[in-house]
Amino acid sequence: MTEQEIIEKTNRVFEEAFEIEAERLVPDAHIFSDLGLDSLDIVDLIVALQKSFGVKIRNEEAVRDIRTLADIYRFIATIKQDEAAKQG
Amino acid sequence: MALKRVVITGLGVVSPFGNGVAALMSGLAAGRSAVRRMAGWEEYVGLQSLVGAPVEMIDEKRIPRQKRRSMGRMSIFAAQAADEALLDAGLDLAGEDRWRVGCVIGSTMGSAKSINDAFELMLPDKDLGRLNSTQFFQCMSHTAAVNVAQYLEINGTIMAPAAACASALHAIGTGRDLIRLGRQDVLLCGGAEELHPTVTGSFDILMATSAGYNDRPELTPRPFDRDRDGLVCGEGCALVVLEDYDRAVRRGAKIYAEITGFCTNANGLHVSQSNRESMVVCMRQALAEAGIAPAEVDYINAHATATLQGDQEEAEAIRDVFGAGVPVSSLKGYFGHTLGASGSIELAAALKMMENGLIHPTLHLDNVADDCAGIRHVTAPIKGELRTIVKNGFAFGGINATLVCRKVAG
Repeated sequence: MTEQEIIEKTNRVFEEAFEIEAERLVPDAHIFSDLGLDSLDIVDLIVALQKSFGVKIRNEEAVRDIRTLADIYRFIATIKQDEAAKQG
Repeated sequence: MALKRVVITGLGVVSPFGNGVAALMSGLAAGRSAVRRMAGWEEYVGLQSLVGAPVEMIDEKRIPRQKRRSMGRMSIFAAQAADEALLDAGLDLAGEDRWRVGCVIGSTMGSAKSINDAFELMLPDKDLGRLNSTQFFQCMSHTAAVNVAQYLEINGTIMAPAAACASALHAIGTGRDLIRLGRQDVLLCGGAEELHPTVTGSFDILMATSAGYNDRPELTPRPFDRDRDGLVCGEGCALVVLEDYDRAVRRGAKIYAEITGFCTNANGLHVSQSNRESMVVCMRQALAEAGIAPAEVDYINAHATATLQGDQEEAEAIRDVFGAGVPVSSLKGYFGHTLGASGSIELAAALKMMENGLIHPTLHLDNVADDCAGIRHVTAPIKGELRTIVKNGFAFGGINATLVCRKVAG
């Protein structure tokens, strides 16, 4: 999965699940203060990312450090790389 | 402590005729049916009744996402009804003591669609991880009351009586007591419910649904009619604004009516069948609380859902209490049985009939059934002043409820 695919899939989650306009989805957008998500939304974000990327991330410690969209892109990329490495 | 007089100063409705009181009343005036054949219901094995009266949901995205995410369909209906009711009452909550403003909204259960969605998501692999954070808030029994309170950001009493098809009248009766006792200043009260094949199914397995009109949905349900064959489920929400009389007069509010009597009781005999004797007691006690004789009632808005047994019991009970002098109609023929919402949707319609001096007839009552005879059925519109009306509501569990409303003089 390319970096661009990760960005597009992630942004689609924000557009569809959280009804946020595409132009606001810039990499350094803070998901709480800029995009207005709250604690309940984070649960839904995890559910949506799991479904969208076919991964299990609910119990990943690194989830707690996510603050910006770019953090999510990096986090998903890492998970996907680890997955590929395990399979490889 | 003297009890306060309680009046209704606002109405808000989402019904199968559309959003708003005006849509409801124009559907009734036109003698239209909102019942239709439901697409996809054939997939439910054993479901005999394939008709329903759905609400077309509109404008839900006007509710901010973070308020809307915990709402199933019924809570969206309730929020929209709340907006209309407050506007109709001329109330701006910004000017109210929010600790004294609450809502009492009943239903049979939480959002039927959300409950089904939750189990369909979770059960195939018993995977809780697929559920989103707000699914439960859509499913819980007090979902409509909670969501309206969150939506309006009010801080008073929030309650959710669950009494199936009597839920809305329980809510209004309970709200009336809270105002009467001086515990709250303003309450939004009523019921909300959703249409879903599993909801119709709960009646269908008891053979209480209309199954003979799947190809002629616009001709069913048929309350009190010879050819009735059961109920048709609908959905929606109606809320009334309750205030104490002195406060309403002080602020120059439009007053639809005063709630002068209420009673709820139970038959204690059968979990699904209604019972004349207990209905008679319920209506008589409500009239006694209102301090009026049966002959002083100008209109009875019946519960009559078009089930074989229920309509007969109610007709007999009305005959026992009122004889054949008081006009009676049921509105279920127009938009089905909206279950937990029926008490308040039909009360709102009856209050508008009172305002307009016009009684709408029972739709599809072409031939009064022998077992429903002996009361004054309304089969064509009746014009005339309505000073006092009675609203009946009955429910599974043998529950009866009767509300008496009287026009306020002056």
